[in-house]
Amino acid sequence: MTRGVRGVRGTRGVRGVRGVRGVRGVRGVRGLLGELEISWRTIALAIAAGSAALGSAVLLGATSAWLIARAAQMPSPADLAIAAVIVRTLGISRGAFRYAERLVSHDAALRGMTNLRARAYERLERYGTARVLSLHRGDIVARTGPDVDALGDAVSRSIVPAGIAVVVSALSVVVVGSQDARAGLALAAALTAAAIVPAALTVRSLRVTQERGARADAAATIAALSLVEAGPEHRVWGTTDEARAALVAADREVERARDAAARPAALAAALQVAFAGLGLGAAVAIGIAAARAGGLDGPAAAVVALTPLGAFEAVAALPAAAAQWYRTRAAAERVFHLVEPAEAFAPEPRPGGAGDDAAGHDAASRASRSHATQRNGAAPTLVLTDLSVAWPGATPTPPVSAVIAPGGVLGVVGASGVGKTTLLLTLAGALAPAAGTVTIGGRPIDGDDTGGVVAMTAEDAHVFGTTILENLRVARGDVTVDEAREALVSVGLAPWLAAQAAGLDTELGSGGLTVSGGERRRLLLARVALHPAPIHLIDEGAEHLDPEGADALRALVRRRSAARHSTILVTHDPSLLDVVDTVIDLGPETEEP
Amino acid sequence: MKPVDPRLWSRIGSARRYVLAIAGLAVVGALTVLVQALVLARMLAPALLPGTSPEDSFGWVGALVPVGVRSPGVGLVWLAGIIGVRIAVTWLTERAAHRAGSRVISVLREDVIDHAAAMGPRWVASGRGVDVVALATTGLNGLMPYFVRYVPALISAATITPLALVLVLDLDLTSAVIALVTLPLIPLFMVLIGRMTAERSQRSLVAMQRLRGRMLDLISGLPTLRALGRSQGPAERVREFGDAHRLATMGALRVAFLSGLVLELLTTLSVALIAVSMGFRLAAGNIGLETALAVLILAPEVYLPLRNVGSHFHAASDGLAAAAAAFALLDEPLPHPSSGAAAPSLAGRTLLASGLGIETPDGSALAPASLTFVASPGEVVALVGANGEGKSTALMAMAGLLPPSRGAVGLAAATGAPASTLATPDGSVDTAEWSAQVAWVPQRPDLGPSARTLSLGQRQRLALERAFSSGRPVLLLDEPTAHLDPPARAEVASRARAAADAGAVVIIATHDDAIRAIANRVVAVSSNSTVSSGAPADGATEVAP
Repeated sequence: MTRGVRGVRGTRGVRGVRGVRGVRGVRGVRGLLGELEISWRTIALAIAAGSAALGSAVLLGATSAWLIARAAQMPSPADLAIAAVIVRTLGISRGAFRYAERLVSHDAALRGMTNLRARAYERLERYGTARVLSLHRGDIVARTGPDVDALGDAVSRSIVPAGIAVVVSALSVVVVGSQDARAGLALAAALTAAAIVPAALTVRSLRVTQERGARADAAATIAALSLVEAGPEHRVWGTTDEARAALVAADREVERARDAAARPAALAAALQVAFAGLGLGAAVAIGIAAARAGGLDGPAAAVVALTPLGAFEAVAALPAAAAQWYRTRAAAERVFHLVEPAEAFAPEPRPGGAGDDAAGHDAASRASRSHATQRNGAAPTLVLTDLSVAWPGATPTPPVSAVIAPGGVLGVVGASGVGKTTLLLTLAGALAPAAGTVTIGGRPIDGDDTGGVVAMTAEDAHVFGTTILENLRVARGDVTVDEAREALVSVGLAPWLAAQAAGLDTELGSGGLTVSGGERRRLLLARVALHPAPIHLIDEGAEHLDPEGADALRALVRRRSAARHSTILVTHDPSLLDVVDTVIDLGPETEEP
Repeated sequence: MKPVDPRLWSRIGSARRYVLAIAGLAVVGALTVLVQALVLARMLAPALLPGTSPEDSFGWVGALVPVGVRSPGVGLVWLAGIIGVRIAVTWLTERAAHRAGSRVISVLREDVIDHAAAMGPRWVASGRGVDVVALATTGLNGLMPYFVRYVPALISAATITPLALVLVLDLDLTSAVIALVTLPLIPLFMVLIGRMTAERSQRSLVAMQRLRGRMLDLISGLPTLRALGRSQGPAERVREFGDAHRLATMGALRVAFLSGLVLELLTTLSVALIAVSMGFRLAAGNIGLETALAVLILAPEVYLPLRNVGSHFHAASDGLAAAAAAFALLDEPLPHPSSGAAAPSLAGRTLLASGLGIETPDGSALAPASLTFVASPGEVVALVGANGEGKSTALMAMAGLLPPSRGAVGLAAATGAPASTLATPDGSVDTAEWSAQVAWVPQRPDLGPSARTLSLGQRQRLALERAFSSGRPVLLLDEPTAHLDPPARAEVASRARAAADAGAVVIIATHDDAIRAIANRVVAVSSNSTVSSGAPADGATEVAP
């Protein structure tokens, strides 16, 4: 199957953007809950529990107002007994229902986050190999970490509180309106205003924060970084005061931006008090007038006048809910920008026209089964014919040709930015050639060969936050303890391993052992040594590669050749070229040599 | 964590007036809440129960709100006035709190960054710089909710709650007793629950962070997994880590939400008990309606500020933790006090390192171990050796940025000028003056905020250009060709040679053969992993003339 640039663009139209899931960003609550796979029943349960909690508070206020006004009429104590029981019960139910609501909504949010993370992984995994291989780790962590959290937070901090506000406000209006319709209408109007206006102002405040404030914060961070990280440099060059002045200036702008954002926020808070006050004043005036005119008896008038005191608590949560929704929308846009196919890349049509999950996995495992037969034998011959590579839309590299026979070693050199990584992606089958062909064992290479026949170890390949052994098992799931040890010895990490108290079970990465740059490179080489692919592409940035690391690399390449496994080595360092058979020089970027 | 950190308050400087304003506004706000309750009671009582006696039942508190307020017209005017004052108080409090927060954050940020900037290159190299900048920016920004939400809630709790209690005490002794008995239970239960759950929360917090870290690590390793053909299994593992994380988090939340449950239970139940008790006493004629209504409206106000303190504490605690971390950093002593005699001029002098040894940050090794060489004007000296042997560290010591642990950096005796030592472990000349005479270009040079948008290669070229054109007598270049293309490397080599030929001392740490080719001497740098093994072996060898 030959996939030219046009072929890639063609698939996008068919099932790229639309086929996977037609959502760019989250449109509305329904869209968000769909992405998180949270059912309406769960949300309804959380809203019901939360409404029971705040409703208890409203009803407690109304019932105790009724109780006091009724008691003032000096009835027999038996007439007050039921109201007294209700008041005491409501005093307990509020806390209990609130506890239940918090647990239900947090559990739903956490389930949703896990669903979204797992599916984000699955979606990314199914996208074009070129796109997956060129993902930035920092982006993935930021999008699937805090951004997915922000999507989940919308459940417990935005959707549920908004639902509660609606239910509890309706309850208050019904309680008051059932006694006096005019008072009910006045309360409804005040509640509506208190629900909408402060929330809208809060969003405006956030917009200022996000636009002006984020810019100011970024400038302050840059100034602070320069002052701290380059402290010694500033000292040598006498630029400390200049750098400090930049920080102070950035800080003043941060303060001004905050002050600009604080204005609508303060107005929102003040208006909340104003609308609650208006609602209360109207209810009191109407209640007193009706009582004096004889339209309402004392207890009913007390309910009308005093219920509004507690009725505004639910809508008071709405500015925070609106703020959370605003943050969530921005986060959702970022998440789905990463997780959905971008302009130039499309999910790769796997053999068999994978439409749904099952078919996709089937096809892929078929593909890897067919490659498995080639794994342990000699490498198939890789032939580059007038190959010119480029990302879609970019200027192609000059054409190159080469034949890498089984056990052959191809070196790729050239200035930074001339397309060495692009060439690697093309040779790995991830990217279609801009012109010319790459064949493997006589057929064109494609994305399904990546990782199976042609594996690749990038300059920034990931060392996982798990044990040394598990990090080596990334190469092959069934690596034994002895094989792992042998591989580490072969790249000169024997002394390093001996120094670790837990040996192969030593945890690496965050919370565990930190590996130095040189150790990391050699650990990755040990992974290459264990990987079964007959062709391996190694991107050795050569930046700061020490002599021991270079020797380990040479030995590895020679062992591979002896086993008739081919290697493609990208490097900056001419001294490493003593192990290669053929060199492709992509040349300088623009300048004359 | 303490709700009020005295170190924070001693450092807030010009933000103090905003905090005082918040406190003043809180007192005014407290008075409006109380007066509103009395006004509502005055207005409602005659309407709800026509024929109430015209006497004032409020005791001395009645002086706050005249009996005339019972007339609905007068009462509504009072109510409107009170609400107007509350609107103004709310608006002003928000503004003052925002200003207080952003002032304090700026002041603390500048203090922390100044302190960190003075910590020296060894500290920067330890990688803490980025963490400290994150603390000083994102971390300290967490103080905003502390000032905007928590501090006003705290001040309200300190004003409204006692004032409301005093009023209730005057109005109805029984209700005051209920409030006085239940109020102390709130902090008591909070502390008890906090103590009981502290260990468990800590354990589950660690588990939660670990599981979350694992999950994100796995997702972010996708490109590597795909490149090795191993990307299909882990989706299930992501789900497993996610589920384990959820279970750990829910376990923690079930406990954490208990304090909220107790807080709401105590406050709501107390209000309910006060209402029921007054109801039966009203029916028996032991208390007046006006008084009962006033207490009924006041009772929730006694507890509300405490609830607010509780609900805002979590949002505020991040900022407080960041502030505590900032103070811990500010307490760290600054290394390398600039000291002593004026530094001599370096122009035309021969630079030397003699037995130079510098401890690694963890103190387990000397890198370099014992470096001895001389570099005269007109010479290019290349420092070579594997990573971690101490080439960069040696350059920093030559630049006067790091004090040696052993041996010395200094100047050879010359005609008319005595031998001089820059720094020994005991310290000697003013290192700032020395540093200002050298042209040091570190790996990954910075060049200030305006250059942050440039690529590493571009910054490196600019930094080298600045060094070559500075005319300083000593050039110390750390892997100057690392990010450059072969033509650019050749140019750096020839300019370094030219600088030496013009009379400068040029010392270059490098792996690059192009640099070795133009060096007068190549000096191998090596480390020694056992600091305490007596006199270190001779760690410097001249491997080429």
